[in-house]
Amino acid sequence: MDAFVQPGFWVFVLALAGIYGIFALGLQIQYGVGGIMNFGHVGMMAVSGYTIAVLVIKYQWSFWWAAFVGVVLAALLGALLGLTTLRLSGDYFAIASIAFAEITRYWILNTDSVTGGTQGTLAIPNPLGFGGYTNQPDLILTWISDRLYPIVGDEASRDMSMIFIVWPFLFLFIWIASKLQQTSWARVLRATREDDDVPRSLGKNVFRFRLQTLVIGSVFGGIAGVFWALQFALLAPEDFLRIVTFYGWMILILAGATRVKGLIIASIFFGFLYGSTRFLEFWPLSLLSSPERAYLRVFLIGFVIVLLMLKRPQGLFGKRQEMVLE
Amino acid sequence: MSDLIQYTFNGLVVGSIFAIAAVGISLLYSVLRLVNFAAGDFLTLGAFLTYFLSVTLELNFFFSIVVSMLAGMGISWFLELVLWRNLRRNKAGTLALFLVATGVALMLRPIIQFLFGTETRKFNIDILKTYDFLGARIAHTQLLVLIFASASILVIALFISKARIGKDMRAYANNPGLAAVSGINVDRVVLATWLISGALGSLAGVFQGLVQGQFNNSMGESLLLSFFAAVVLGTIGDAYGALVGGLLLGLFMELSQLSFFFGGVPSNYKPVVAFATLVLVLLFKPEGIFGYRGRKV
Repeated sequence: MDAFVQPGFWVFVLALAGIYGIFALGLQIQYGVGGIMNFGHVGMMAVSGYTIAVLVIKYQWSFWWAAFVGVVLAALLGALLGLTTLRLSGDYFAIASIAFAEITRYWILNTDSVTGGTQGTLAIPNPLGFGGYTNQPDLILTWISDRLYPIVGDEASRDMSMIFIVWPFLFLFIWIASKLQQTSWARVLRATREDDDVPRSLGKNVFRFRLQTLVIGSVFGGIAGVFWALQFALLAPEDFLRIVTFYGWMILILAGATRVKGLIIASIFFGFLYGSTRFLEFWPLSLLSSPERAYLRVFLIGFVIVLLMLKRPQGLFGKRQEMVLE
Repeated sequence: MSDLIQYTFNGLVVGSIFAIAAVGISLLYSVLRLVNFAAGDFLTLGAFLTYFLSVTLELNFFFSIVVSMLAGMGISWFLELVLWRNLRRNKAGTLALFLVATGVALMLRPIIQFLFGTETRKFNIDILKTYDFLGARIAHTQLLVLIFASASILVIALFISKARIGKDMRAYANNPGLAAVSGINVDRVVLATWLISGALGSLAGVFQGLVQGQFNNSMGESLLLSFFAAVVLGTIGDAYGALVGGLLLGLFMELSQLSFFFGGVPSNYKPVVAFATLVLVLLFKPEGIFGYRGRKV
């Protein structure tokens, strides 16, 4: 239990919460505003994360320029997904979006020469030879933690620097998203969620509106990938399994599908759930070995999703009628 | 020529397993409008439980398979009682059904890992024995799976077309309101659908474990999208279609490795062939091979 009183634990939880908060915000714009059920969101994070890694390691780009290209590519993947499959109805699109993300992951897995394959970004060849993972993320984070040192002393760390980078962005994006929800653009989209025909009869191009939503959401997925790359520095294909998308969905349904502000609490809860399972030492969990406790995390996330859908489908802060079919 | 025979045979074996798994998913969709994201993990469960009974406890292999199928049915029944029935009563929407099915998958996987460990498993059967057939090498296990899977497919098809409950299922899937007023017991139909899909999940898992030789606990999960591809190919909600879709997809995945198909797809991209088939069918013929255009997609 000692771990939970350590500031370092909570700093890690907050850093993680910030990254996945931005990730879930992308889903929230897609589902909460546009009614799009995207189950392949992890693909956007994978594309931007890997783009950054490859550009930085192989071609010695600066991290931030690589990040920019990564986010643009994530947006393009979102556009490609939308242009090809967004005309399908909800459940068909959901399945197609998973297939898209899985194709992306298989491509990463099997293109060793570009992505390092199963070995991860550690195996990307660069002019200096193998294994030379760039220390750029470290340089960025250390620069900040050096500035924090005079203020917080020994608590200054990588994770804390991460909080100072990611949380201002999270607040900014949440502010933008809540402004977005009040625009006439979002009103058209909300109308398409209920019924396609009404906005269509008013001369609105429903498909274009939904495509825009999908791309905007993908941009947030891509930005989450940037911070992911910064935080973890090492990427491997198994970091981008299907389940990661459902981390985002758990945050989203906990917050309530259209409640932008609930996202903050929900993502901190997720960060806690994600980070805490390895520290839960009390009985009966003490009977589990530490890799077994890693599955506990997956179990708990599944459990929270099922329980919420059963008992409180509107989430902690949402409206019930938005999740229930008449 | 021997390549063609080899890949056709492999395709039939893989396809018959796809068919069995896909028909469970398709039946569930037709009756409950539920896309069962947990179907893959029911395969894993079936394979691991059969391993536990037949190898660890040294029980009879066929007896172990039957017990695993019963376990798959039992879990499905339990979930129907505690989850799905309540969700239907609450009028849960598409997203809720999707997420609950995924949540079940996320819960099932750690339970399997906890109960049966994470090591790679292998059934107590000679996986190296092969026969020579016109230059193709046919594994003993593959032949066994093909025979038993084909028999199972026949039984399933007969059950759906002839048995009373099978007819009720099709009637209910076609028009739930009409079926209910003409005296079909809806709860019984739903329960039967869950039991069938639970049993078929375990069975397909054992077959898949046999064909692979070795399997680990991500086996079913990694096949899930291929099953969806088979379901969509054979028209979603059409049980016979799923059987045909499964066989076709299996054949297509294996034959795509032959050199006439753009120089042959590398074998590690086999799953991508399934995913791409899924996306292409959704794009160009979302009603599947047996559907008609009028179906709302």
